[in-house]
Amino acid sequence: MESKLIKRKLTEKVIFNILGLFLWISIAILGIIIFFIFKRGIGVISWEFITSMPANGMTEGGIFPAILGSFYLVSGSILFATPLGVFAAIYMTEYAKKGRLIRLIRIGVNNLAGVPSVVFGLFGLAVFVKYLNFGVSILSGALTLAIVILPTIIRASEEALISVPDEYRESSLALGATKWQTIKNVVLPAAIPGILTGCILGVGRVAGETAPIIFTAATFFSMKLPNSVFSEVMALPYHIYALVTTGTFPAKQVPFAYGTAVVLLVLVLLINLAAIILRIRYSKKFSN
Amino acid sequence: MGKNKMEVKNLDFYYDDFKALKNINMPLEENKVTALIGPSGCGKSTFLRTLNRMNDLIDKTKVEGEVLLDGKNIYSSEVDVVELRKKVGMVFQQPNPFPKSIYDNVAYGPRIHGIKDNAKLDEIVEKSLRGAALFDEVKNRLNDSALGLSGGQQQRLCIARALAVTPEVLLMDEPASALDPVATAKIEDLIAELKNNYTIVIVTHNMQQAARVSELTGFFLMGDLVEFDKTDKIFENPADQRTEDYITGRFG
Repeated sequence: MESKLIKRKLTEKVIFNILGLFLWISIAILGIIIFFIFKRGIGVISWEFITSMPANGMTEGGIFPAILGSFYLVSGSILFATPLGVFAAIYMTEYAKKGRLIRLIRIGVNNLAGVPSVVFGLFGLAVFVKYLNFGVSILSGALTLAIVILPTIIRASEEALISVPDEYRESSLALGATKWQTIKNVVLPAAIPGILTGCILGVGRVAGETAPIIFTAATFFSMKLPNSVFSEVMALPYHIYALVTTGTFPAKQVPFAYGTAVVLLVLVLLINLAAIILRIRYSKKFSN
Repeated sequence: MGKNKMEVKNLDFYYDDFKALKNINMPLEENKVTALIGPSGCGKSTFLRTLNRMNDLIDKTKVEGEVLLDGKNIYSSEVDVVELRKKVGMVFQQPNPFPKSIYDNVAYGPRIHGIKDNAKLDEIVEKSLRGAALFDEVKNRLNDSALGLSGGQQQRLCIARALAVTPEVLLMDEPASALDPVATAKIEDLIAELKNNYTIVIVTHNMQQAARVSELTGFFLMGDLVEFDKTDKIFENPADQRTEDYITGRFG
């Protein structure tokens, strides 16, 4: 009896420690990645690196055009994807009858999320660059990235809308509101923090996407800043790729690649932080 | 007997294949409180929701028969459901104010119905809050979130919100079941006050409450309206054995 108890307690302890170990391994891997990127890249980070143009075959100067280019691409993609995704989600949760069609659409959306991003890149090349003749440009890149984040935004919006209590809808309708008035005045305001969180996480994701913009928007090196939506641009993730794979002075360019990675990482972390803060505010508002 | 504000005739209601209401006939007298009692799942809430067509929102439901409001069938194709719900307001079981300010909650209905003038809205909000016996408690914090109010206050706010669209009939689905005894007493006092201007139909699980607040009572059992009569009669001398069994607590 006594020994059985001891054995049971021992098993508990072992399991507890093994599970803890796995957690720490996962955290350590993340820590190591961040540590190495920073260790290799932090040396080149300076005000000049962030704000100036590249110089001398990208062995000197900075990455300002890449930062600006990424900013344009990401804002453009959000501009296209948000209304599309939010309205699609509204239709799916509020209007469509629950049935086979909606299940099919949802499966479609989930599959869209699983398509490798280089495939989206090829699609963008065929449709936006060639067929619609937008060329390799901010416009083509932003549209391609918009398709990449569309599933994320639809899913987040759908979840945010579904989590709005039905009582809100019922009491609005019981006051004689139409369906659209109810959605506009009650459901959407309650869902907006959740939708925003989804969009911001989407931003974090597309900021780092490389494959979709290789054929559609990005250029290895540009002497001047983009002056219209039809300009091609430099972008942070592609800049890293370019520096590492096609550089002619690896000794000088590889540290630049790590520096660029630091900038990209910090940006994505900041964006995710914003999403977390929004999420906390959102839950506070509803737990009152 | 007074004038009938609403009248339900041969009403059947189906959830898919399930017949939830069976041939219900019931008048609802103007400026009276009619209570609906019965065990859980007996159809009393379903019945209440047929009176302002809230059941329209549920897929695969079907209504047969007539519900007359001032002599007109509310299920006829000429009736605009938005207009209907303006006339037949509803208060739900759980206090469910919107996550907006107290003022905006009450002003919600009038605003959707096109009232934009601020002075007019102020007037409606004050009148509705007074009507729900809440004004004095909240007059200094109308712009605070409604979610900061107590449960009982939230429920009176929901009543004020319903009153703000000037309904003629007020449906209440167990309005006090989520509240403590003090808050419940306030809601009951309020119902006594409101019946001077409104026709009230209230679903309740609480037999004493039905006896206290209503003039007429209907007893539902498994989709049937077993008995409908003056409240005194139902509680003191019911005609049907099943009513007596329920009221004396032998089942349900």
